[in-house]
Amino acid sequence: MNSIFKAGTVAIGALLLSTGAAFANPYEKYEGTTIVVSWPALSHFNKAEELIEEFTEETGIEVEVDALQYLKLRDRQLLEMSKDEGEYDIVSWVVMWKGEYVSKGLLTPLSQFYTMGSLVDPSYDINDIADGYLQNGGIVGGHKGYMPGKSGAMYGVPFGAETSILAYRKDIFEEQGIDVPATYDELRAAMAKLGEAGIPAMTSRGKTGHQVTAGWLLHLAPLGGKIFDDEWNPVINSPEAVEAAQVMREIAQTGPKGIPTFGFGEASAAFLQGDAAMYLDTLKIAAMSRDPKLSKVDGKVGFALHPVGSRCGSETGGFAMGIPANSQNKEAAFLFIQYMTSKKGDQRMVELGGDPIRISTLQNNADKFPDYSVVAEQLPCADPDWRPLIPEWNELNIDVLGQALTEVITTDKPIQPIMDAANEKARAIMEREGYYLWQ
Amino acid sequence: MTAELPAPVAKPRFESGFLTPYAFITPALLVMLGGLLYPVIMAFYLSFYDWEIGRDLEDAPFVGMTNFARMMTDPQVWEVLWVTIRFGFWTITIEMTLGVALALLLEKPIRGASVFRTIFILPLMVSPVVVGLIWRYLFDARIGWINYYLGAWFGIEPQVWLGDAQLAFFAIVFTDIWQWTPFIFIIVIAGLQALPSEVVEASTIDGANWYQQIFLVKLPMIKSILVIALLMRLIDVFRGMEVMLIMTGGGPGRSTELLSLHIYNRAFETQQLGYASAISVLLIAIVFGISTLILTMANPMKSRADV
Repeated sequence: MNSIFKAGTVAIGALLLSTGAAFANPYEKYEGTTIVVSWPALSHFNKAEELIEEFTEETGIEVEVDALQYLKLRDRQLLEMSKDEGEYDIVSWVVMWKGEYVSKGLLTPLSQFYTMGSLVDPSYDINDIADGYLQNGGIVGGHKGYMPGKSGAMYGVPFGAETSILAYRKDIFEEQGIDVPATYDELRAAMAKLGEAGIPAMTSRGKTGHQVTAGWLLHLAPLGGKIFDDEWNPVINSPEAVEAAQVMREIAQTGPKGIPTFGFGEASAAFLQGDAAMYLDTLKIAAMSRDPKLSKVDGKVGFALHPVGSRCGSETGGFAMGIPANSQNKEAAFLFIQYMTSKKGDQRMVELGGDPIRISTLQNNADKFPDYSVVAEQLPCADPDWRPLIPEWNELNIDVLGQALTEVITTDKPIQPIMDAANEKARAIMEREGYYLWQ
Repeated sequence: MTAELPAPVAKPRFESGFLTPYAFITPALLVMLGGLLYPVIMAFYLSFYDWEIGRDLEDAPFVGMTNFARMMTDPQVWEVLWVTIRFGFWTITIEMTLGVALALLLEKPIRGASVFRTIFILPLMVSPVVVGLIWRYLFDARIGWINYYLGAWFGIEPQVWLGDAQLAFFAIVFTDIWQWTPFIFIIVIAGLQALPSEVVEASTIDGANWYQQIFLVKLPMIKSILVIALLMRLIDVFRGMEVMLIMTGGGPGRSTELLSLHIYNRAFETQQLGYASAISVLLIAIVFGISTLILTMANPMKSRADV
């Protein structure tokens, strides 16, 4: 009897204390919590680990990182997020998976946290985050399901987001008397000239599946092509799409040996180790070229806008972070995301050798890094419809385009019939998934 | 006639100890059922549904035979089946020939034979993932040793080994031979060493020359061992995927995509688990068919006198 009475007073006392005490800072309530982050083993994220240490020191929230090769993330995350109680409190997705994650109900809408005053940092300034990045990585359910639009909701914050710019070797261009290409005609002429001089011109991803498709998409948008028209009819056999495939073939022919085996890592390594004169892909190459552990070409690299074809259109891609619906520590996870993407966090990422997501960070550091002003100028061209971020995209990307484009870059067969066949396959998939029921 | 026989003593229906043998095999039976049969049954069950990871299995729509119908008309499935058969033909033929030849060479107690034997079985000890990584970098077009030495020694232009349909197929066959010849070697040499020396001696006295001794005496005597080795390699060919997954991912195109890698890609890259399960059922049927065929042709369990 006595002991029960004692326990009761202690409990009541504890309750009184906990309700009565005001917290000294917004993080105190979550001190000692451990959150688990799933993200890719890429340069930007490796650098972010130092910022995580600072986060833990400042907030008392422990963070465990599970870093995987980036294309392996999806399997692992889907598996964890489909359990009743998942391991992961934060997942970082490649923007092309956002539709699938949300349609399966696996993510928490961030509005849940933005309505909690105690969690939201008033100085965060979400409008400062590059709009293209935020829309592309974080907003789901807008126009066509993945583009900006009134029906969209926010599920993630960009972190390690990107667009594409051209990186080139200033020394080689000078030696060969080549001007920096501003259009696709100039680019193709430069590739041909370098090819004749025996210098591997441009590196590119080209491995069967996702990688070769990513390489081709980089040229599709600026040359005026698209994957679907407005009624979801595939148009990957249009003259523009065929021209983009032709450009891919020329790149494979004039570029470094082995493009049909290159994933992201191999394609970047070829440029960073001096085996290619140009790199037209993610802006991540700039920070990587400054890292002595990765690069032999630091100081020799110039940056320019993604060349223009019939319009300007650069990549929208990279990663965004969000919170799984089955996370056990959602509020602490939100605080982590907010910290990492705050103005201060963004600036620290730049200092650590990562890539910023905020316009103010790009502006404040433009003197230090020549690529930042290029990126700031490139961002308005970033095409939100660069690729359709629909759940069916994976199958189209890997099974249809990934196969067809391999045929384009590894054989001499005429391109049009290859793309015609791919278009038919794409149509069959869309038909199967019920996209034409409204017509 | 039967009436004259003494009436059989009525045995108690349950003799004491009647259940004992069953009790002993129950654990093994449970492991068999749980570990071996359950996944197979689930694969079969899943092949009737359209399921993706991330959704509840209960909510997956039942699609009947759709997955099987699609499989039968899917040119990609037949393409990878053909790749698998070609891969199996080349690897197993060469591995069996090389493995048996090496075993015959190193069977005699020549100087240093034990060192050679150890060296030959080294590739077997390497995990398939590591094998894939080693050979991927050896065959790499830009930084690989193979291109480097072909260029330095023979002046051969660098080749894109893993990015050309024919060369990539050659590369995975080569890697498989490198890894699995020792397996045949080790099994065959064990069989050769267990042969009774009298028979070999007798054949020598009868005047058999070396090839008669090999083809008419030794190899027929280890026939059952050869069949088992062949069977294991055949099943491996249909199961194998790690090395190709790492070296080429099945590419370029589907030129190195074996059946099980195709199933993996279908299941996890494009999230068609039901369809992938249907192809798995096909895989099980093929392996079961091949195994039955080989075992009926030469069942090593039937007569053990030849070992």
